[in-house]
Amino acid sequence: MQSNMPLSSMEVEAAPSEAKLLPPKPKFEPLKAHEMSDGQVQFRKVSVPQHRYNPLKKAWMDIYTPIYEQMKIDIRMNLKARKVELKTRPDTPDISNLQKCADFVHAFMMGFDIIDAIALLRMDELYVESFEIKDVKTLRGDHLSRAIGRLSGKGGKTKFAIENATKTRIVIADTKIHILGSFANIKIARDSLCSLIMGSPAGKVYSKLRAVTARLAERF
Amino acid sequence: MADSTDAGEEALRRLMATYQPSFLAPNPALSETARAASRHLFSALRPFCPKSPLDQLLVDGFDAEQIWQQIDLQSQPLLSSLRRQVKHFAKNPKEISQLKVVPLGKKVEKEQEEWMEESDGFDEELEDDEEGEEKGEEEEGMEIEDEAEEQGGESGSEEESEEEDEEENGEDGEAGGGGIEDKFLKIDELTKYLEKEEENFENAEKDMRGKKDDEEDTEEEDDDDDDEEEEESDEDAEFGFADEDEEAEDMENARYEDFFGAKKGKYSKQKKAQLRQDSESSDDEDDDMEFKKQNKGTASTHQKQLEKIQSKIEQMEKANLEPKTWTMQGEVTAAKRPKNSALEVDLDFEHNVRPAPVITEEVTASIEDMIKKRITEGHFNDVQRAPKLPSKAPREVKELDDNKSKQGLAEIYEQEYVQKEDPTSAPLSFKDEQKQQASVLFKKLGLKLDALAHFSFAPKPVIEDMSVQINVPALAMEEIAPVAVSDAAMLAPEEVFDGKGDIKEETELTKEERKRRRANKKRKFKAAAVKKTGKKVQEVHCLTK
Repeated sequence: MQSNMPLSSMEVEAAPSEAKLLPPKPKFEPLKAHEMSDGQVQFRKVSVPQHRYNPLKKAWMDIYTPIYEQMKIDIRMNLKARKVELKTRPDTPDISNLQKCADFVHAFMMGFDIIDAIALLRMDELYVESFEIKDVKTLRGDHLSRAIGRLSGKGGKTKFAIENATKTRIVIADTKIHILGSFANIKIARDSLCSLIMGSPAGKVYSKLRAVTARLAERF
Repeated sequence: MADSTDAGEEALRRLMATYQPSFLAPNPALSETARAASRHLFSALRPFCPKSPLDQLLVDGFDAEQIWQQIDLQSQPLLSSLRRQVKHFAKNPKEISQLKVVPLGKKVEKEQEEWMEESDGFDEELEDDEEGEEKGEEEEGMEIEDEAEEQGGESGSEEESEEEDEEENGEDGEAGGGGIEDKFLKIDELTKYLEKEEENFENAEKDMRGKKDDEEDTEEEDDDDDDEEEEESDEDAEFGFADEDEEAEDMENARYEDFFGAKKGKYSKQKKAQLRQDSESSDDEDDDMEFKKQNKGTASTHQKQLEKIQSKIEQMEKANLEPKTWTMQGEVTAAKRPKNSALEVDLDFEHNVRPAPVITEEVTASIEDMIKKRITEGHFNDVQRAPKLPSKAPREVKELDDNKSKQGLAEIYEQEYVQKEDPTSAPLSFKDEQKQQASVLFKKLGLKLDALAHFSFAPKPVIEDMSVQINVPALAMEEIAPVAVSDAAMLAPEEVFDGKGDIKEETELTKEERKRRRANKKRKFKAAAVKKTGKKVQEVHCLTK
């Protein structure tokens, strides 16, 4: 009313009039894993294929320790069902941990090494992409075998070359191909592998790889 | 006959009286009178030549040439007869005195008649020539002069002298041969001169006889030539022969002034004025030629030179008036000059090309020597490849590692992260590892090579490498042997190999031994395989159970 009045007093005068209408903004803590879905426990079950049974046995402790200790996720092997089961604990900090652990175990089941799969636990942006040879090109019999041979190269050197160049990990399981790495790197690796499947010689793939990785390196 | 003679004389007189230039234009009346006059003269002279076939000069319907031939037909034997008579008189001078009894005028008249006849003949020819061709009066005068000379040449010296006067008369051109009485030719002077000549003849008979014949012959030969100079020279020569030394000198030094007494300049100017009125430019040239001829008759060397220069000047002026030849014009295209004319002309232009070398034996020998020398020296002019300048720094090629990476994916990303955060802590790249391996290898090789050479010895590099060496002696004594000697040679055979039993070569083995060896190998392999798959077997057993 009076122009001489300071702003704050005006606000103060205005505020109490509206104070009753709006409550203060609430601040919520993020939900814990347990609290989610109304306090029920979250599960993940990862099936174990036949050929990964023994390796799983051998590397069990390597799997168990980081999951239980660092991710704070319960893990157990259901021998009867041949599945690895993961469960959240009350002190699991983040619900994403469960998913990460599931992915980690799943990657191991696909065929990746523990040390490579561990990266999934540590980094967020790593993904696993899988595709089949027949998705790229329909090959039968000898052609298929040759394609597989082309992909790996002599002693696996082509595969290793792609892995080293693109900072990914590749698993060629018969006709299935799994690639583990960041999104862009997966793309590059996939392109190289597809060109190999299509029939281009390894040298060509190498040269392309060199160019691409150089460009990638320059960017950073 | 009397009528005819009267008519003839009448005709002569009429010719004399006519205006000279009228002779230039073809005039039938004049020609008629001329013909009549010549016929009269012919018949007048007829009694003097008995052998003449023609009794009368046939003029009706006859050509100038034909008329002239008729005259010539009569005059030739007449002249020869006259010559004979003169010779006769020369031999017998007394008869001359006898002749002298006859009045000189008559003789002179005879001569004059002769002269007239000749001159009339010339006149006719003049007129007839006018009909036929366009010739100037002066040219006709020239002809007259020439003919007079021709005829005069045959005659004796008296007549020659007469003809000289005649020439001069002809040169005059005014008379046209018709006028006897002239300012140049005066009868009195003529008679005096003739007397003088007769005296000369009496004095030098023999010489005349001898030499005249020769000269007459030459003159007869020269008759056909219109070369005045020759005739003049002959005349001069004759004069020289005829006269005594003094007279000869006088005659040689005879000049225009002696005869005419008037200056050349005046005369020539008069003449030229007259001529230009009458004649065309061609006639002028003829006049000039006449003048020259006239002058040459009494010309000095200087005058001759002047004449030469004059003629040259006229020639050059004439050339200047005409258009220049194509070689003297400036820029000439092929169309402006005649075809292939450039081939004939010696053109001079700059050749910017060095002429091709002529290959001789010496040249080839020199070249071959140079080649041999170069080969022995090894000094060749090989083309060196120009070094390519580096446009930009060579891009570092990233080597692809074919081997399985020793680090896990997590570690790789970890390293990447660390690198991003802290750029200094860069790990040893694959390339650097390779470099290190290569450098180590090379050092080893270098040491061995140095040992071989022993010249540049370098001590063995200390490579800190922990390795278990089996065959090392407990005590390492310093060996004085050179470095090149290997350790294997140092060691005793037992130290090198410790085996048992009888070691046999591959070839020495028997069949059984070979079999035994194979069997042993198999056993070993099996054992190892079992060992490897031992667990597997156990597991299989467990599972099956």
